[in-house]
Amino acid sequence: MTDVDTSSRFLLLITEEFGQRALIAATLIGMVAPFTGAFLVQRRLSLVGDGVGHLALAGVALGALVGFSGVWGALVVALLGAVLLEALRVRGRLTGDLSLALLFYLGIAAGAVGLSLAGRFDTSALGVLFGSLFSLSWGDVALIAVLGVVVVAAVVLLYRPLLAVALDEETARAAGLPVDALNLLLVALTALLVVGGMRVVGLLLVAALMVVPVAAGSKVAHSFRSTLAWAVAVGGASALAGLMIAAAQGELVPGGTIVLTSIALFVLFAMVGRRASVAHRPRKST
Amino acid sequence: MTPAIEVRGLRAGYGPVPVLDGLDLAIAPGQFVVLTGPNGSGKSTLIKVIVGLIPPERGTVLVLGRSAAIPEARRRIGYAPQQGAGRMVLPVSVAEVVEAGVTPSRSLIGGGRKANRDLVAAALDSVGLTDLADECVFELSGGQQQRAVIARALAGDKPVLILDEPTNAIDRSFRPRMVADLRRRADDGTAVVVVSHDPDDFHDVTDRILFMEDGRLRDVSHEDFHSEGRSA
Repeated sequence: MTDVDTSSRFLLLITEEFGQRALIAATLIGMVAPFTGAFLVQRRLSLVGDGVGHLALAGVALGALVGFSGVWGALVVALLGAVLLEALRVRGRLTGDLSLALLFYLGIAAGAVGLSLAGRFDTSALGVLFGSLFSLSWGDVALIAVLGVVVVAAVVLLYRPLLAVALDEETARAAGLPVDALNLLLVALTALLVVGGMRVVGLLLVAALMVVPVAAGSKVAHSFRSTLAWAVAVGGASALAGLMIAAAQGELVPGGTIVLTSIALFVLFAMVGRRASVAHRPRKST
Repeated sequence: MTPAIEVRGLRAGYGPVPVLDGLDLAIAPGQFVVLTGPNGSGKSTLIKVIVGLIPPERGTVLVLGRSAAIPEARRRIGYAPQQGAGRMVLPVSVAEVVEAGVTPSRSLIGGGRKANRDLVAAALDSVGLTDLADECVFELSGGQQQRAVIARALAGDKPVLILDEPTNAIDRSFRPRMVADLRRRADDGTAVVVVSHDPDDFHDVTDRILFMEDGRLRDVSHEDFHSEGRSA
């Protein structure tokens, strides 16, 4: 590959509409995903996004079988699956990883069977699993933007009660906060993000954008708010850089390069954070 | 005067055999009460029923005249559990922990940032953590974390305070200041309930000592408190 090839591919991201759509959608999802991810990680529910993503594959298959868009099928099943996951957790049946694993396998297996029954177990299935960023329509971008605005607006408006629950669910419940409703809202927002990110990085990788940038931010921050701010920046930067790497190389799957970029940033932040923590010794006394 | 906390005929527990059965209790506004007794006597169960974490099987629990089952009634309680700041996965500042104590009494959606900051600042000052407001809470010592959790309960000057083992991890040199602050709050009309195994911390400030044994409560004198509290 020559330098001209590389630079001209970069330019396609700006000059061509498919590139612009990919840039906008990837950056949006990269920046919005930590808004629910931060709360999930704090509550030790990092794998919930993965669980919902796996179940959403069954939704895509359902859509294909009954003849409506895979996105809407994924949206319905992801929302129902998120509610189911939360109900199982509240009833104490999801305390171990076994229940979550069973739901993972149910989603993937039902998706594979459903897609093959519908005659859609082809390359489009790979697009669902790992994203199809360069084939988005402006309608897809608009849907992603709407889902992103809903998620950000809900988290900004309910930031304080969501944080109170994430910090100490028992004390929040004792204080009269509507803990169950807030938890349900959080997993429902996660389901919206899973569907929003389905075409961008794919159902198997979308949860990574909720978790990895948050993990990176936590290495350099001293508060939840600054962790979230760093995570939004890392998510956006990962999406941009990962997409540019994929575009420059020409054959790499953008979903993979975006997530690998975020993991590279996590490693970088972990090293920087370790040095900073040595310099920033807390004052220890009782 | 409406009691700050009123419990009538309470039966509650975790299984078929109740921990508490037929328990009655009334605590007036402005009273400083120490609840003591041996491990497993039912102190924490009683506290958790009052703050709504365990539903009573039978009986009535009222907070300032309203059922403790109603969230609005529980929003008038400042509660500090025994387990401290809890399990933090991500960095959380001391100020963020304390602000969580103000949140339930505010509108759920947006607003009140300036008022919140003032309430958080006052609570941090009460526990001597003003200088550490922006520090990550899990980088602090156990005692400082405990003080942050107590500040969360104090934030917002609620009319009922329930603190479970508040002096456990706290340096003896700081305890008198904290106890004096609680006494001042009681003098201002707050009902203060402290669960403690250590009678010495509260000996000079408490109005009333409740000794719990086998799920039954009885008022005891300071002298009894001293001897029974030590043996608890």
